[in-house]
Amino acid sequence: MSSSSLKTTLRGYVGYRGKEGQWSFLLHRITGLGVLLFLAIHIIDTSFVYFAPQFYDDVINVYRSTLFGLGEVALVFSLFFHGINGLRIAYLDLFKPTDWTIERERRSALISLIITLVLFIPSAVWMLRNLLMHNYGLFGG
Amino acid sequence: MSVETTSAPAKRSTRVATPRNFETTAWLFMRYSAVLLIPLAFGHVILQDVIVGVHAIDVDYVDMRWRLIGWRIYDAALLIFAFAHGMNGLRQVLMDYIRSDFWFRIVSWVLLIGFLVISAIGAIAIIGGVSA
Repeated sequence: MSSSSLKTTLRGYVGYRGKEGQWSFLLHRITGLGVLLFLAIHIIDTSFVYFAPQFYDDVINVYRSTLFGLGEVALVFSLFFHGINGLRIAYLDLFKPTDWTIERERRSALISLIITLVLFIPSAVWMLRNLLMHNYGLFGG
Repeated sequence: MSVETTSAPAKRSTRVATPRNFETTAWLFMRYSAVLLIPLAFGHVILQDVIVGVHAIDVDYVDMRWRLIGWRIYDAALLIFAFAHGMNGLRQVLMDYIRSDFWFRIVSWVLLIGFLVISAIGAIAIIGGVSA
């Protein structure tokens, strides 16, 4: 990728006013890449139980920090959004390609975001509660 | 290839024959594996990150969990499908930005080798289990 094509790409992403369809396209890519980055690291850290079990608990300790705890909340949002929006894409591509119109996509993108939030908000509340309990001694922790 | 950008009126859409090549298979794989990954990845994350929580996970927890062969099969399926879906997704994203066929082929091979190496590391750990 040359720097000029990268510049063109980034300028296109910022300048193009595609609204819901473009936002869900961008968010689908960003969340997918984010989940993949975590997944690659997570496969390696889990493999410590076999290759170096004496260090596994030290590795998990990193995930227990507040910074990684907040990252974990972002990961859960990313996975939920990518999964629900991905189901929408799979359904439209395989069963209802005629619904790939701007008006209908606006609606379906909004519905997938709402389903994502319904799953994410209670999960995030519970994870933040655990984080405050273990790292800051709140809620009787 | 993709019909995502089609904004023509629904009635005017036409069916075109799709070539049965690697890209068509990869495109279909992303959709089929997505359906499978909803229970696998959502179940894993809701259980481990939300319900159990990272503060309750240690080497003994993994050992206890992997005593059930069912969890090892679940984790192996999650490893292969999630990582294949993710690495192919990365390849499809990069396809949009790398214009040179030569460099795209190089990048694809690097991704395939990375996929195989990291998958092998994960598979060895799932099969080998927690070392004493």
